Parts: sequence; structure tokens; C-alpha cells
Amino acid sequence: MTTATAQWERVLLPNIEQDQTEWLDAYVAGGGYEMARKALGMAPADIIGVVKDSGLRGRGGAGFPTGMKWGFLPQGLFPRYLAVNADESEPGTCKDRPLMEQRPHSLIEGVICSCLAIEAQQAFIYIRGEYYKAARVMQQAVEEAYAKGFLGKNIFGQQGKNVDLVVHRGAGAYICGEETALLTSLEGYRGYPKLKPPFPAVSGLYGKPTIINNVETIVDVPHILRRGADWFKSWTHERTTGMRLYSVSGHVKKPGVYELPPTVTLKDLIYDICGGIRNDHELKFVIPGGSSVPWLKPHQIDIPMSHEGVAAAGSMLGSSAVMVMDHTVCPVWAVANLSHFYHHESCGQCTPCREGSAWMHKILRRIEQGGGRMEDLDTLRDIAGEGKPGSGMISGKSICALGDAAAWPVGSALGQFHDEFVEHIEKGCCPYKNKRYWMAGGRFVNETFEKMPVL
Amino acid sequence: MPTILKDRTDEIERLAVRYPSRRSIMLPVLWMVQQQEGWISQQAMAEVADVVGTTVAEVYEVVSFYTMFQQRPVGRHHIALCDTLACAICGAMEVAEYLKTKHGIEKKKVTPDGRFSLEFVECIGACSIAPAMLVGETLHGNLTPDGIDAILAQCP
Ligand SMILES: Cc1cc2nc3c(=O)[nH]c(=O)nc-3n(C[C@H](O)[C@H](O)[C@H](O)COP(=O)(O)O)c2cc1C
Ligand code: FES
Repeated sequence: MTTATAQWERVLLPNIEQDQTEWLDAYVAGGGYEMARKALGMAPADIIGVVKDSGLRGRGGAGFPTGMKWGFLPQGLFPRYLAVNADESEPGTCKDRPLMEQRPHSLIEGVICSCLAIEAQQAFIYIRGEYYKAARVMQQAVEEAYAKGFLGKNIFGQQGKNVDLVVHRGAGAYICGEETALLTSLEGYRGYPKLKPPFPAVSGLYGKPTIINNVETIVDVPHILRRGADWFKSWTHERTTGMRLYSVSGHVKKPGVYELPPTVTLKDLIYDICGGIRNDHELKFVIPGGSSVPWLKPHQIDIPMSHEGVAAAGSMLGSSAVMVMDHTVCPVWAVANLSHFYHHESCGQCTPCREGSAWMHKILRRIEQGGGRMEDLDTLRDIAGEGKPGSGMISGKSICALGDAAAWPVGSALGQFHDEFVEHIEKGCCPYKNKRYWMAGGRFVNETFEKMPVL
Repeated sequence: MPTILKDRTDEIERLAVRYPSRRSIMLPVLWMVQQQEGWISQQAMAEVADVVGTTVAEVYEVVSFYTMFQQRPVGRHHIALCDTLACAICGAMEVAEYLKTKHGIEKKKVTPDGRFSLEFVECIGACSIAPAMLVGETLHGNLTPDGIDAILAQCP
């Protein structure tokens, strides 16, 4: 049996292809909100215990064990808040959007269970501004849940059990996905991250203990309560457990969001599940975990898509967003594109990140356009380091991890495609002629484009 | 006297009680203004400052930080075209070229009839349906020339 024909039961997004919203009645008819009721009868420590046992690790990027994070809340300090991170802005990542648009009540049920576990009475869902539909759907679903008494005061008729939920919209800033920036933004300020410690679990929203988790992490919680920690652990690779959503984009035949176990290999994901490279082109490189992680070349992709599997190949699982590039893509151009993203999204608070990201972008653009000098490569190497934590002038030296995220792809591209950087500089131009045209894969071929200029 | 927000007072007060601190209504109120007016003027910022209980300078500080808040008028249908990697390798630049040559829609400009404006934005979370763009509040993915013609035809 090949990977593509293997059947895994999908629990997070069982009907992703239909792209329809499951409203409250349908969700309840399918057994929805039973786990919220069950959690009401459990001691908070027991809910945290099950989550710890399941080995659930955050789906937002860092992969921090969720149960352990919840355990950091200081004893006896109230109120506490839960903030759900629906900012989903890491390029390549597009899994939380279908989760919220299609199954809003599974997130609300997750919020209820999580609030009961951490003894919070107020939760916020911070949705990025560009997700108009997801925010509309979530808002409507929250109103449905309030009307039924599933949210608000005395939920499900239980005296003294309160869970208030507010859907809050961002307004276009990647940095607000960083947990401390998310909180400052929610407080009504510029989304500036803060130095840690103190960690949000101790001093977060409005200075109160706050837990921040990704949408998918929270949605996992009721599933774990329903079927048990062992069910969740039945898909395990080393210390990565449970099915998760992989967002696949770029030059594969069938890009999409796939719910798969962490044992699936990157190779099977690309060639089997996503049908291989479009037009049967050759694979050039893969970004396995969202745009900030180091790149992998074709000989490195026979690895399980778990935190440990990807780390062993020298990269990171991150937000499990796989971007696939075929041979029409110039790696120098690609990293210049990403460096523009980080330069644009740096919040500007700290110097290494603000200046470093701008500096790298300027140099990369210059090389790509043919004006590069050999010394540029040394300068880039000094700034970006080796594409590893702590190396270079930015990584580990900025207030939050955006600095690292800006430096890693550059360091990694320099290492993986050094010859192509040199070629750009020696030839004084980008060797990928008409790449804009080729990368688009014929989608826009008509008279207008026959004499397309080289970008 | 508020003019832009004059009919929104009840809505704003209902919002304010949902947050532990009044300052948190900053973004929601700015969104209210933008959805009503299309952009956020100096006059609007002054009114938001009054409603939130802060200074115009602080409101401006916030408005200028978030890229989705428009500080000048945009077209009736504002297009946000993603040009980050996944979209860029699937034809985002071709889409931009097509919008310009076929429909006369250019980056950072409002069309003379006031119908469209275009802005290039960073990843909009639609990478698996690249190339993608938002037209107003609606997301469109897997863009093709014919598809773009059809989408724009629906915009009065
Ligand atoms: C620059 C930056 C951007 C981030 N963006 C997101 C995001 O969009 N969504 C998300 O869930 N986590 C994001 N994170 C990770 C969060 O800081 C945080 O670790 C996560 O939300 C915790 O949830 P989890 O433990 O459930 O993964 C980002 C981190 C950084 C440094
Ligand atoms: S890269 Fe365009 S939507 Fe993500």
C-alpha cells in the first residue's frame, strides 16, 4: 500500500473538500459539545493530565508541550486568560483558516475545555485581519453558542462555571502571531513583542497569567478527551504525537491541507499524496516548516515529518507548512522574496532585527538584479550566520524570534546554493531567464506575455 | 462632536464591556471606521481617540503600524494581491501584469472611475490555492486570466 492510498481517519477536518461551515445543530448532532460537558465534570488537573499524557505539542511553530505550558500557571493567581492564536501569518501556513471556516464549533469546544483546564473565565480568539470570512464565521458561531448557553455565565447550566469568548481581529501584522506581540495588540497597542521572562503564563494579558495556543492545538484538546491519550499517541514518531495538518503549497500537482500522522515522510507527502512535481519538473528545494526554517534539497527529503525527523535533516517542522519549489525557481530570487517579507514585517523595536532584515534584503536584491559583489557573500554570512539558532548578528540577539526567522532562510540558502549566488555575481545577472513566466507554469500564456521582459 | 461615529455609540459601548480594559476596543473601533468609510481620516482618528479615551497621537501610532488600515481613500473594491513566495512562484507577478495591461489596475493607485485600487501584500494564508488575492473582503485563489475577468466583472 502506498502512502496515498493508506486511509487515516480524519478528525480535524473530515470534509475539507466540501468547504462548508458546520453550524451548531450539525455539530451537536455529530456528538459535538459532549467533551465540553465531560470536561465540566472533571478536575482541572485531570484535564491537564490527559493533555500531558497525550504528548500534544503546540501546532503554532515552536512545538512546545501543551500540558507542560499549562502547568506553568502560578498557583492561586486569578483571573487568568486564554488567547487563541489565529494570526496564522507564517508564509506557507494555511491550515487554521479552513479549521475556523469549516468547523468553528470544534474550536469553541476546544476553548471551553481548555478554559476549564486552566481555570480561565475569559478567552480571546485573535484572528488576523485578512481572514474576513473566518472572523465572520467564528463570530456567528460564538453567538450561536451563547444563545444555547454553551458560552457565557453558568455554561451548560452549571452554577459558577463561566466562559466568555471574544473574537478579536488583527489588522495585518505578521508580528502579532508572536505570543507577546499578540497580547500587546489585543490590549490596543502596536504589536510589539516583549522580552521574556516574564513569560505570559505568569504575566500576560493585562499583566495577568495568560495561556496562548494555536488554533489547531486547542482543537486537538476535545479529541484527546474523547478518545484518550493513547489514541492520540497511536501516531507517534519519537516525541511528536497525533495527526496534524500539513499545508502544502508551491509546485506540486495537488497543493492543499492534509491531515496526516507524523510518520509520513516528506518524500511521500510530495510525490505520493500531492501527486509529485507539476509538469513532471525536477524538484529544486523544499521549505518544510513555514518560510522561516532552513531549506532542504532533494536528497534530504526522505525523512518523517515530525519535529525530530525534520531536525535530523537540519531544518525544523515549525508550522508544518511545506513549500515546494521546482527547477524554474531561482533560489537567490526566492530568498530575496522571503527577506522582503521579514524586512516588511519586522516591528522595528530592536536594532538587530530591524536593521539586519533590511540590510539582508538590500544585499540580496542587489545580487539578484546583477549588481552583487563577492564581498556581499561574506557580509551576508556575517549577518545571517549558518542558518542555525544563535549564529550570525541577528539570531538569538533580538527581542523575539522574528529576527531568527529572518536570518535562518538566508543562512541556509547561502549554504545550500552557494554556487548560484556566485554565478549571479560573476555573470552580473540572474541566470534564470524569464523566470516569472516559467514559474507561473503556463497559466498566463497568451499574446500579452509572449514578449515578456526579464524581471 | 462625533460625526463619523455618531450612530455607533451603542455598538461601541456593547463592545467595551466585553474587554477588561477600554483600550482594547482600539482595533475593533478602527475597523468599524474603515468598514464604514473605506479609510481612516485624521478626523476619524480624533473621534476614535475620544471614544477610546486616549490621544490622537496614540491612535495614529496604532493606525500607522497595521498595514490593513488605510490612511488615504481606496477604490470601491480594494484588491490585496499576495506576492510572497508561494504565490510568487505560482504566478502572482503575472497576475499583477494582467491586472495592469488588461484592466488598467496599478499598484498603489486608484482607477480613475474609483472602482478599483491595488496593493501588494504579504502572505494572506491562502498559499495552497496560490496565486491568491483579496477583493474587498472576499478571498479568491487559483487565479487565471479568465477567472480574474469574471471576478472583476462582478464588482460594480
Ligand atoms: C514572529 C513569530 C510569528 C509567529 N506567528 C504565529 C502564528 O501566526 N500562529 C501561531 O499559532 N503561532 C505563531 N507563532 C508562535 C507563537 O509565538 C506561540 O509560540 C504559539 O502561538 C504557541 O501556541 P502553541 O504552543 O499551541 O503552538 C509565532 C512566533 C513568532 C516568533
Ligand atoms: S504566499 Fe500567498 S497566500 Fe501565502
